[in-house]
Amino acid sequence: MNATGGASADPTARPELAVDLGRGLILANPVGLASGTAGFGFELRRLLDMDRIGALFSKGTGIHPRTGNAPPRLAETTAGLLNTIGLPNPGAEHVATVYAPEYSQWRIPVIINVIGATVEDYVSCVRRLDGVDGVAGFELNISCPNVGHGLDFGRDPSAAAGLVAAVRGATEMCVIVKLTPAASDIGAVARAAEDAGADAISAVNTFVGMKVNLDKRRPVLQAAGTGGLSGPAIKPLALAAVAAVRGQVAIPVIGIGGITTTTDALEFFVAGANAVQVGTATFSEPHAAITIIDGIARYLQREGVTRVTDLRWSGFAAGSVPPAGIEPASTG
Amino acid sequence: MVRVEVLGERLVEVSVRLPHLAATALPGQFAQLRCGDGVQPLLRRPFSVAWAVDDICSFVVAPVGEGTRRLCALAVGDALDVLGPLGRGYRLPDDASNVICVAGGVGCAPFPLLAARAREGGGAVTVLSGATTERRLYPAERYQRGDAAIRVVEATDDGSRGWNGTVVDLVASAMSGGASVYGCGPNPMLAALAASLSGGAGLHRAEVSLEAPMGCGFGVCLGCVIPVHSGDAAAPASWALCCTDGPVLDITQVDWERLMALPRAGVA
Repeated sequence: MNATGGASADPTARPELAVDLGRGLILANPVGLASGTAGFGFELRRLLDMDRIGALFSKGTGIHPRTGNAPPRLAETTAGLLNTIGLPNPGAEHVATVYAPEYSQWRIPVIINVIGATVEDYVSCVRRLDGVDGVAGFELNISCPNVGHGLDFGRDPSAAAGLVAAVRGATEMCVIVKLTPAASDIGAVARAAEDAGADAISAVNTFVGMKVNLDKRRPVLQAAGTGGLSGPAIKPLALAAVAAVRGQVAIPVIGIGGITTTTDALEFFVAGANAVQVGTATFSEPHAAITIIDGIARYLQREGVTRVTDLRWSGFAAGSVPPAGIEPASTG
Repeated sequence: MVRVEVLGERLVEVSVRLPHLAATALPGQFAQLRCGDGVQPLLRRPFSVAWAVDDICSFVVAPVGEGTRRLCALAVGDALDVLGPLGRGYRLPDDASNVICVAGGVGCAPFPLLAARAREGGGAVTVLSGATTERRLYPAERYQRGDAAIRVVEATDDGSRGWNGTVVDLVASAMSGGASVYGCGPNPMLAALAASLSGGAGLHRAEVSLEAPMGCGFGVCLGCVIPVHSGDAAAPASWALCCTDGPVLDITQVDWERLMALPRAGVA
């Protein structure tokens, strides 16, 4: 007996973990390491068997190097973490000439997360890395809440479409668009990205949050006092975002947000994800992603389910969920 | 966990059976201790390896927040999930030159292990041990661990024990030719140490162990930055990662002016 709403149990079936994100980018399993929580992979490679990971999503990379924000950059909250790192990175040239040759020797795909302040920034960065051996594809960060100018693309469907179309014109490689939950209608942004040529959607980036130091009567973090919230605290919000996106697009969706356990990951598949990324959990437990990969395989085997997409609730079929259709809670 | 000892006010030593860490940790390196289920508190807490003997490691913990209080509430036999050793430790002198440890408050943590390892090199070791008040002083015999040749000189801000003032006041009198100075403590103390050593007379090497709020401890979250001199006047603000570039940095590498201008982060 299973509760998968349609998939029939077959205990002899072998789980099929591979995920096709399009344009030849195939992950051996549906669990990646999220951008911003795994650096460029070299540190974690010393702590875990990186070959087991589905994909590495690099630290956000721009056409120009950045040094990042002044500290404090982190503030721990209830079951969560606020960050305002400021996207420090060595720039596309360094990634192309120093990191990519290393990646070309790795067995897993390395997807470069791309940041920018303008359409031209994104296009220049993608052009520099397009076709470079060791670069498997791109994930456009149109959503980082810490660098004001990047926000606009992710909030507005037409701005997102313009950016994605421009990048689409610069590469034949897989282009994944990572959305911000700050959009008023995230499903509409996802659909605009798909229409403009995106191969897949990552949902979702951090939520804007604040921690207050009551003794000092000021926010803990600097400047605007806000940061991006990640960790288990955002999981229910991220699940809703994934469901909203799933209802609007046919392309693969990569679920992100507070995934710490196998159960968390499986819930994202029910909500419509084709793959997931493990982020903040890696900080506490570097092996979290590998534990989750093994847990997913065991669950599928036990439940007689072939693919993670077979776990999806039928109510989340494409087009079946109204955009941002969140009903006001009944207060009875 | 094998032992939790309350040594003073805000001063607890937690000892744990950790064969790998005990065999590999260098003075000044740290470990990330899990003090919850990974959800609340979310993050591990970093602690210097204070002591390692046989397969037991000790950590000095100030129970000031939820995570540290949980560590101090461990019972004998409780499992503790530890990631380490992490970071760069102190570089001990290659010869038998003199070693001076400058410890403030829970900044005592790296020095029992460092003093023992420095003694193996044959040089004289002096620990300048300071705290706000006597109740917060790390016990002298814990630095020595049976080696009475390790000299401990104490100082308290309120004069309740030892020198009435800071340990930095004591550095000049402890200095001798070619000494190596190792500091750990609050940033203002370390900045004062840097200023007092800036002449460089009689100094072989000076290093400090620094703290910053850490997300991971192994160089991927990029959260724990310390301002450092870039070595290039035209270069923009330069940062070192406390976890992987440090926590021990050369005292001249740290940009003390920028570090002291930063607001102190809230400790969870």
